Amino acid sequence: MLSRLRRIRSLSRLIIIDGLRRHALIGLILFALAGEIGGLLFFDFIPRDIGRASNDFLFSISWLTGFIFLLFHAVQVMAWDDERRILHTFLARPISRTEYVLAVFFGLAALLLALNTVLGGIGWGMLNLIRSSVDAASYFQHLSLPFFLLASAGLYGIELMLLAIILFFSGAVRGNFPVLLLSLSYYFICSGLPVVRQAIRQQTAHPASQYVETLLKGLTALFPDFSRLDFKTLVASSDPVPALSQIVYPFALSSVYVLIVLWLACAIYQRRDLE
Amino acid sequence: MNSVIFFENVSKTYAKQLGVLSQLALADVSFSLAQGGTIGLIGANGAGKSTCIKLLMDFIRPDSGSISILGTSPKNSAIRSRVGYLPETANFPANLTVLDMLRFTGGTCNLPPQDIRVASEKWLCCLGLWDARKRPLRNFSKGMQQRANFAIALLNDPDLLILDEPMSGLDPIGRVMISDLIQQLKDAGKTILFCSHILEDVDRLVDNILLLHKGKKLFYGPPADLAVQEQKTSIAEAFVSMVQKEESHA
Repeated sequence: MLSRLRRIRSLSRLIIIDGLRRHALIGLILFALAGEIGGLLFFDFIPRDIGRASNDFLFSISWLTGFIFLLFHAVQVMAWDDERRILHTFLARPISRTEYVLAVFFGLAALLLALNTVLGGIGWGMLNLIRSSVDAASYFQHLSLPFFLLASAGLYGIELMLLAIILFFSGAVRGNFPVLLLSLSYYFICSGLPVVRQAIRQQTAHPASQYVETLLKGLTALFPDFSRLDFKTLVASSDPVPALSQIVYPFALSSVYVLIVLWLACAIYQRRDLE
Repeated sequence: MNSVIFFENVSKTYAKQLGVLSQLALADVSFSLAQGGTIGLIGANGAGKSTCIKLLMDFIRPDSGSISILGTSPKNSAIRSRVGYLPETANFPANLTVLDMLRFTGGTCNLPPQDIRVASEKWLCCLGLWDARKRPLRNFSKGMQQRANFAIALLNDPDLLILDEPMSGLDPIGRVMISDLIQQLKDAGKTILFCSHILEDVDRLVDNILLLHKGKKLFYGPPADLAVQEQKTSIAEAFVSMVQKEESHA
């Protein structure tokens, strides 16, 4: 078991080093930091509820950066491994295919965590700076560090679910572009499904809508509702604090989801030919 | 003697893909390689040489037949800590250095950090890459990448070396260097399987050759026997003669 962990750590380390030295990724981080600092200008145009607007803006920047990382780095890492046969270089070592999938996941997850930590740290600093620059009692009453951390964890949870799905698609289909398209489609379905469910729920009078509602509910097992992990509104608002179960349950569900998708990705890699 | 590599009636067909018909890569091929032996896989492009190597490395799985490597199935990934593999073309993540790859190799083979340092220095100096050890691999020439691959393959002091076109991309000096190195490894008792289009190298370095053509085994034995069998003076002429005969029969 220890040697297995050592092998996974060795490959994860390579993925992390490769990512940290990638110029495009460094550029992305600088771009995101510039965007966050731009929040200082942004809040000047908000007439009221500056706290909530600034918080939403900063979390959107973090989410967008993570999304770009996933689609344009994580997808490419997996595709390059396959297309450029870097995968052969890795698997020529005593690394099993399961260890390969797990190592890539942990390597990319560590990079994402570093990215979120940097952006989150700067974001928190920005929120405090904005709060100190305005009349806090009128425009920026609430700012909670625990909820900021919770919202950041939720964001990271969504990103990990997408990362697991990208690994799954990378095993199932070949090439950068198909994986990119499938991952994007998956994300849009996940984002759109709650809206459709809401619309169907409003037509409960129609008997057919019951079946459709059941079907859509079942589909959320495949296409999870990411908004359940979205806690950013709690950071700078006086909204009632949700029950503990409402916080723990989405994280538990997303952990199970990531585990299942990773298991499927490992199973696919175990079976396929690496020509 | 124990067989380090054992192929028994191995067949492999690459599955049909979009726009590509299914393709027979190996048909009922059997051969073995004893400990300390050297075998050369030769054949024209598409003969099945690389398929044999991919099967040994568990990149692909056979449709039928059985394969064993160092007494176990290629599916047992742990066995690759005793194998050094040199791919035909270098495939590295762009931003890594040869030192990163050596540390990775040592880490996966459970080598202590001190041993990794000593072995890395030894092979990088031996292959003339010490000064370039901190340069990104993307800036290496093809010959340098091939030598870097060699250093990575040899780091864990493997019992079995699998070399896919080891002279590919090398200049004449590099070719002599690698050729001498293979000879030294052979003299040191390493078991070596390599495939090459350069038949002079094969003739000089191997004990046995396996001649493949369109996935079929045409000849297995010492290089001199191939020349005698085809009544030719060189292995290259004998190879061409045998392949032409097979083509005319087909």
